[in-house]
Amino acid sequence: MIGLGQFQDFCAVAATIRDSRALAGLMAEITREMGFRYYALVHHIDLKPAVSSVHIVDYPPDWVERFQAHRLYASDPIHRASHRTNVGFAWSAVQSLITLSAADRSILAEAHDAGLGDGFTVPAHIPGEVNGSCSFAMGSGDVLDQRQLPLVQLIGSFAFEAARRLSRQTQAPCEGPSLTERQAECVALVARGKTDWEISQILGIGQETVIQHVKDARDRYGVTKRTLLAIRALFDGQISFADVFGR
Amino acid sequence: MHIETGAARAMETRLFRSMFEERKRVFVDLLHWDVPVLAGRYEIDQFDNDSAVYIVIADAEGEHLASARLLPTIGDHILGTIFPELCEQAPPRGGAILEITRFCLARRLRARERLEVRNRLVSALVEYALRNRIQSYTGVAEWPWFQQILSFGWACRPLGLPGSKNCLVALQIDIDGRTREQLQASGIWRPVGLADFAKAA
Repeated sequence: MIGLGQFQDFCAVAATIRDSRALAGLMAEITREMGFRYYALVHHIDLKPAVSSVHIVDYPPDWVERFQAHRLYASDPIHRASHRTNVGFAWSAVQSLITLSAADRSILAEAHDAGLGDGFTVPAHIPGEVNGSCSFAMGSGDVLDQRQLPLVQLIGSFAFEAARRLSRQTQAPCEGPSLTERQAECVALVARGKTDWEISQILGIGQETVIQHVKDARDRYGVTKRTLLAIRALFDGQISFADVFGR
Repeated sequence: MHIETGAARAMETRLFRSMFEERKRVFVDLLHWDVPVLAGRYEIDQFDNDSAVYIVIADAEGEHLASARLLPTIGDHILGTIFPELCEQAPPRGGAILEITRFCLARRLRARERLEVRNRLVSALVEYALRNRIQSYTGVAEWPWFQQILSFGWACRPLGLPGSKNCLVALQIDIDGRTREQLQASGIWRPVGLADFAKAA
C-alpha cells in the first residue's frame, strides 16, 4: 500500500531517469510497494522495423515466451479491452469492456497457469501514436486492493510517460511513414469505402490524381492493398476514426 | 496568436465571438456539458468576466482554430470554486498562477490539423506565461486529456487523486526557462511570432 507521498517520490525519480534499465529498477520497486508482483509497460505493436516503441516487461518468463510465440500483441483480450476505455480497469472486470470469445478465455487461462493472477491495466492513448498501456499483475491467488487503484492509475500514467520519453531519446521521433495533407485526405475517404472516382468528385480533383495519391500513400507504408493502407494510417494516427466516421 | 482580456471586450471582435461560438459547438453540442448558452450561439459562463484572458490561434483568413481561457487564481476559478476537493491540499492560488480552462479545438479540423493546432496553442500558452511572469498553470482535466497533457513533456503533476465518479484530475504545470526545451524534445513546440505579442500589446 502506498500513499500520495510515495507517488510523488516516484514521479520525481522517474523524471530524472536516463535509461530503461533504471526505469525497470524503479518499476520493480514501486510494483512491489503497491502489492503487485509483475508489471508490463508496452506499446501494443508488432511492426517491423519497430518504430520508437516502449517495451519494458517483468512478467513470468513462461508467459512472455508464449505471448511472443503466439503474437498476442493485438489479440490479447486485455490489450483489446484497453482500447475500449481511457481509464484503468481490473482484469477481473474485463468482461464489462469486451465480450470474451473461447480463444480469449483460453489466453486468460494460459496466463493464469503461467502464474499471473488478477491485474490492473492503465491504457495510454496518445493521439497520433500507437496505443499502449501499463499493467500491474498479482501472483495467482493474491487479492487486488481496490482502495489502491486511483494511485495505481496515476503511477501507470507517469510510468508510461517516462518510458515514452526514454524511447524518444534513443530513437529519432516520427520514424514511421507520414502522409501529405492530400494523401491523408484521400486515405480517409478510402477508409470510408469510396472509389477513386468518388474521391475525385468529393475533393474536386482528377481521378488520375487520386490514383497517384493513393499509390504514393501505399508506397510509403509498403503495402499493396487499400484496406491495409487505411488500417495502417488509422493505426499510426495519420487519420483518425473521427475523420472516417465524421465528427 | 491573439490575446484579449475581459469577456465584454472579447465579444466586440469577430474572432473572439467565433471563439464563444466554437466553445458552444465543442462543450455543449459535442461534450454535452451543462453550461449556459447565450442567444443560442455563445457558450459564456460566470467565469467569463472582466479578468478572464483569452488566447486564440487563428488561420491565415483570421478564422478561429483553437483557444483557451486563462483565469486568475486569486479570484473565482474552476478548481478553487467548483472542484477544490480534487486537491489533496488547498487549491494553489497566487498572482503568478493562472488556471487554464476551455481548451478548445475547432470541430471542423481533421486529426492531423488538430494535433498541429493543439501544439501551436500549447506553445502559445507557454510563451504567454514566460512573457507575463506566470510560473504555473493549474487546471482540471478528464483522465484521457490528462494523459495527453502529461505527454507534452512539460513539468506537470496531479494535485490529488483522480475523482472516482468522472475521473477528473486537478493538475499543475510549472513553466520556467526549461519548458520550451521540454516541449521541443517531445516534438510539441511551435515558434510563436514576436509580432503576435506586439499586436496584442
